[in-house]
Amino acid sequence: MSRLLKHESILAILTVLALAILAMQSDKFFTTDNLLNQGRLMSEVGLVALAMTFVIVTGGIDLSVGSILGLTAILLGVFWKNVGLPLPVAIGLAVACGSLAGFVNGLIITRFRVPPLIATLATLALYRGLAEGISEARSVRGYPEWFFFLGQGDILGIPVQLCLLVIAAITAGVILARTPFGRATYAIGANETAAHFSGIRVNATKLWIYTAAGFLASIAAVIFVSRVTTTRSDMGTGLELDVITGVVLGGTSIFGGKGTIIGTALGLILIQALKNGLSLSGVKGDGTIVVIGVVLIVAILASAIFDRNKGG
Amino acid sequence: MKKLIVAMTMGLGLLSSTALAQSAWTGGDDQPTSPLACDATPAVAVAKPYDGGEPAGAPDRAGKKITVVDVPKLIGIGYFNATTKGILDAAAELGNVDAKTDGPTKANIDEQITFLDNYITSGVDGILFAANDPVAIAPVLKKALSKGINVVGYDANSTPDARQWFVNQAEFNGIAKSLVDNLAKEIGEDGAFAIVTSTFTTPNQARWIAEMGAYAANCHPKMKWLETVEAQEDNTLSFNQATTLINKYGDELKGIVGMTSVATPASAEAVTQAKLCGKVAVVGLATPNAMKPYVKADCVKSVVLWNPVDLGYAAMHVLRAVADGTLKAGATSVKAGKLGDLQVINGSEILLGAPYTFTKENIDGFDF
Repeated sequence: MSRLLKHESILAILTVLALAILAMQSDKFFTTDNLLNQGRLMSEVGLVALAMTFVIVTGGIDLSVGSILGLTAILLGVFWKNVGLPLPVAIGLAVACGSLAGFVNGLIITRFRVPPLIATLATLALYRGLAEGISEARSVRGYPEWFFFLGQGDILGIPVQLCLLVIAAITAGVILARTPFGRATYAIGANETAAHFSGIRVNATKLWIYTAAGFLASIAAVIFVSRVTTTRSDMGTGLELDVITGVVLGGTSIFGGKGTIIGTALGLILIQALKNGLSLSGVKGDGTIVVIGVVLIVAILASAIFDRNKGG
Repeated sequence: MKKLIVAMTMGLGLLSSTALAQSAWTGGDDQPTSPLACDATPAVAVAKPYDGGEPAGAPDRAGKKITVVDVPKLIGIGYFNATTKGILDAAAELGNVDAKTDGPTKANIDEQITFLDNYITSGVDGILFAANDPVAIAPVLKKALSKGINVVGYDANSTPDARQWFVNQAEFNGIAKSLVDNLAKEIGEDGAFAIVTSTFTTPNQARWIAEMGAYAANCHPKMKWLETVEAQEDNTLSFNQATTLINKYGDELKGIVGMTSVATPASAEAVTQAKLCGKVAVVGLATPNAMKPYVKADCVKSVVLWNPVDLGYAAMHVLRAVADGTLKAGATSVKAGKLGDLQVINGSEILLGAPYTFTKENIDGFDF
């Protein structure tokens, strides 16, 4: 445990440093308004990153989360407008379909023993293709006003989706760190064969985790549609890269067995702060991408150095 | 377990069948069309009340220095490089404007919204935009208006109440008429053609295609539309899509219409590489520089566009006039520097002018 905390401490220091520098560069950065707004914008990536932490800790990866987001968004529009279901039912059904998509991912990985990278690469194309085919190039608009509360409203001044994100993060953190399910996740990532022979239900755990990834991606889709008031089949393109960057920056090892929700949260905060703060300081879009890449490399190198220094 | 898998496969199949519930996609939107007359009779301008949005509590910016950010659909393509040049030229000419262009590197609405959001927070005085999606961009633009920022669009509109004015490069039905007439001249009255467009919700392309359909139905009813494919302002994708069309329809395909300044040169390249120059006509919207090699090689006979440098220039002047308070709701024309007076049409749209056809004779006179 104390080894894990090493990376999180470096990351925490880096985050605080970055926040301080960015706050000095622009006086608009550290205002409550801006910080809450950034919280609102990072909720979609944040929710998916929580599930992705579990996935990567087991040594797997899920590249199809962006496509699941797009597919769920389109299905939401189709169920509501074309099939004519009442909106709450359409939302529930769309989320169910998104979770089903995640379940199918898990099925392909556990039953057919396809490596997660290949399986989710294939479903990335499959789900995106389904989204484009089903939407047939039409976007759905004209949702009722109450629906926009989810993506654009506030509870006690805090954006709705940020509240959701915090609750989800606390739940995920508790599950990963304190429950047998979380310990099983670490065991699978550390040594899958040993975990299997220790009596841990490896396949069931993985199925749950990939389904959760689909579920959270579909919740993120609903929030996203509510935020931009329309559905498009190219929504969520590239989301998986943002999510994986945040998770890996947070200290989760891509080989599995290591990672915490706190680390993921810090990683996400750092990236969002950089994207926003740099833009406010006048750095253009391309410069921001370069900085984020450099920060990612520095953070990984730093934690790799500390790993090498530990004994044994 | 097996039953579960079978059930799920059926479920997925059922989901995809909803795709069949919708009609074939032409790429056009479903708003009302108003095709022009088949001959050269100009359209009658219909007066409409102002339907743009208003900023809330905008400070008095008359005569003062303002910071303006321009967020186009994407950066890095010739067309928006040209509009940026126009914007910066106008800013230099006005003298009291600090303008810069920033935007996503792909035509992605999510990223465009994030860019706009950040600039709103950093407190710019004015925003110029070309939208990737008219409805999705509306919430963030309304937020800008609510913070007292002046918002003017160009090239691709948002919903009218999300911006104050929109500088329209040419009437949608005018562009449609130019494209279809040029196409009919080259492929004949009963030729078959296909369309390569941007993304399905890009507002300007969708409007043009809808108007093209209406105009062709009136004036060239025997021309056959084969298919519309999506190429997302990406060079490689446009080339691949055009090549696929050529391979799929073979001899039946007589013409390809490129709806974006990226699709048209890519389609011309696809036709050149398939050695079908002269047999498959390529007509479309493109910058003259991109098309010079194909026009010189007689592969492409005509290119339709407007001057994007002028478009950016006019947009900047409109924004300055709005910030200064000299352009108010209900105005019928606005002075745009060296372009003179521009007409207000459709309530809150400002017309740049008529579309221009570039041919082998005149294409050398332009450099953008």
